[in-house]
Amino acid sequence: MSAASMTRQARRVRFRYAFYRNLGLTLNIFPPFIYLMLLFYAPMAIMLVMSFWKSGFMTLEPAFTLDNYVKFFTTPIYVRAMVNTFLIATGSMIALILVGYPIAYYLARYAPQWESLILYFLIIPVEINFLVRIFAWKIALGRSGIINSALMSLGLIEEPLKFLLYSKTAVVIVLLHEWLPYVVIPIYLALKGVSPDVIDAARTLGSDRWSVFRHVLLPLSVPGLFASFVLVYIPMLGEFAVPALVGGPSAYMLGNVIESQFLSAGNWGVGSAIGFILLTITLALVAIVIKVAGVEELM
Amino acid sequence: MSNREITLEVRELTKRFGSLVAVDHVSFEIRRGEFFSLLGPSGSGKTTILRMVGGLLTPDEGQVFLGGKDITFDPPEKRDVNIVFQNYALFPHLNVYDNVAFGPRRHRWPEAKIREEVTRLLEMVHLTGYEQKYPRQLSGGEKQRVALIRALITRPQLLLLDEPLGALDLKIRQSLQLELVDIQEETGITFIYVTHDQSEALTMADRLAVMDKGRVLQIGDPKTIYEQPQNRFVAHFIGNTNMLEGKVAAVEGQDVRVRVPKLGEFWGRPLDGADVRPGQSVTMSIRPEKMRISRQEPERPGYNKIAGVVEDLIYVGVSTEFIVRVSPVKTLRIFAQNISREDDLWQITWDDPVWVYWRPERSLVLVE
Ligand SMILES: Nc1ncnc2c1ncn2[C@@H]1O[C@H](COP(=O)(O)OP(=O)(O)OP(=O)(O)O)[C@@H](O)[C@H]1O
Ligand SMILES: [Mg+2]
Repeated sequence: MSAASMTRQARRVRFRYAFYRNLGLTLNIFPPFIYLMLLFYAPMAIMLVMSFWKSGFMTLEPAFTLDNYVKFFTTPIYVRAMVNTFLIATGSMIALILVGYPIAYYLARYAPQWESLILYFLIIPVEINFLVRIFAWKIALGRSGIINSALMSLGLIEEPLKFLLYSKTAVVIVLLHEWLPYVVIPIYLALKGVSPDVIDAARTLGSDRWSVFRHVLLPLSVPGLFASFVLVYIPMLGEFAVPALVGGPSAYMLGNVIESQFLSAGNWGVGSAIGFILLTITLALVAIVIKVAGVEELM
Repeated sequence: MSNREITLEVRELTKRFGSLVAVDHVSFEIRRGEFFSLLGPSGSGKTTILRMVGGLLTPDEGQVFLGGKDITFDPPEKRDVNIVFQNYALFPHLNVYDNVAFGPRRHRWPEAKIREEVTRLLEMVHLTGYEQKYPRQLSGGEKQRVALIRALITRPQLLLLDEPLGALDLKIRQSLQLELVDIQEETGITFIYVTHDQSEALTMADRLAVMDKGRVLQIGDPKTIYEQPQNRFVAHFIGNTNMLEGKVAAVEGQDVRVRVPKLGEFWGRPLDGADVRPGQSVTMSIRPEKMRISRQEPERPGYNKIAGVVEDLIYVGVSTEFIVRVSPVKTLRIFAQNISREDDLWQITWDDPVWVYWRPERSLVLVE
């Protein structure tokens, strides 16, 4: 028997062994796997196919075409919605990290006795109905809302601030509030997982507080940052309710375009195509972030 | 030795946690290049002292001097003191090379010099080729060696080691003990080595401090600590010992006669300068290897002797350990060398009536 065929046989035996050994596991993941397939991947596959079909108002013809994609890239309002989407999601993500990281850091490092209380307060708003929260913001941010009234009665401004409502700023403010717990908690958990001795070791080796943060805590919180990113940035790219209610036309996002293609324009082909463009860009972004942050190394 | 330069001086150092006094007015001096050990049971305050010396904890009272300079309130990064932690505390996100290079980088060494030193130190601890591995891929002993050279590389004036071998099994422990002593001699760096294993402290340290409940009970070289413990705790904690409690019956020059209830009277000798008076309660401490055993009543004038029955004997190659019951509530431990000259020894077996005897100066009379 040649060496090559021997290794081939060995590999086959090993494969069979692995199969039987994992049989229990295989049987266990089977039902959720079927569920995912039927209710998630199958509709997605159908959408992918539809995005290449000829389609118009309430019509869909199974004939291959790239028109839907071409239409998206040649319609200025759609392209602007795409730009808006990335501006708003990225801006909100940056704001979320700038606000959320210090909270997580403080919770994990300096507030052992307040920890659960602060986390609790952070989570309560999530439990309040989403629409109620958005309408509350609408009242607060409006032209005669509490923020403007307060600023005016303090004499800080003469006229109500217009950009507070029906603007990208408004969308960012509401998104910040909506997603904050999802940013704070993963970062908090990552920082909490850093052993105090590791920090002490860095100190004795010559790191001051800033250097400990820069060279130890920040790199060790990358998995938390990554989790926040996946948990928050991706859903924000698909956001449609917040821009529809507090954003106004200048904050029109891809989610709104997709919604209107399916629900009012009745053009499922274009809607599907935009959905896939968004999905592709999202996956590419996740891949880039994994690569750049070196998350694999840490997980 | 005594007039060598002092590296560390700790003066009346005290730390309280609530009502607990974790470290209670501790003072000691450590000379340059010394291998000093802090020995004490769990919770006696060893780690707390190290943390105050390293700057990770602020003392409530007292001062710390390094090379004559008061560093009591300096932050850790400003002190020329490094620590090897009991649980290694390697940086999980950095590989072996970057872990070892962490200190030098904070001190802004040129990369070329870092490369050279890291390579040399990895070779010294037999870890060449491990540069790219991450801490989670290392065994306990390997992690320990990385932690050691990470702390050594910047050649601090003082290295604090907190039970660095505590988590390792006996074999690796022993080989790393030797390695540590070699490295300490080679580098000439002053070591404070914390342990609660008395044999480790006795074999490795030039001098040691025995601690209990936040206080230092005795400081000395291993031989002094073993042969002349200052009090019951030290005698009991370091090595094995037999304790006989009684009252002083008479004082004759250097020697003291102690009456031990139900066992008789024995002669012993207090430490130099100890104030012993008739009627005082004392404890006699006799090391097991200082006692002898025989089946015939010994005819040696002046020796202490006591009759008993062999309850157990454990043959351990070079020696035999006897447990002899001398009263319903008291047994003595005796280590006897297995030398052919003492034929008698071979014939002693379970339940034999025997005599235990020892020279008066072998029983140390302790007042505390
Ligand atoms: N941060 C703290 N808060 C409250 N009590 C503490 C703290 N650190 C230590 N202690 C207490 O101080 C005492 C001394 O602790 P320390 O860690 O110095 O003991 P140790 O001698 O190092 O013991 P071990 O051999 O078990 O490591 C213990 O009773 C401990 O419970
Ligand atoms: Mg300790």
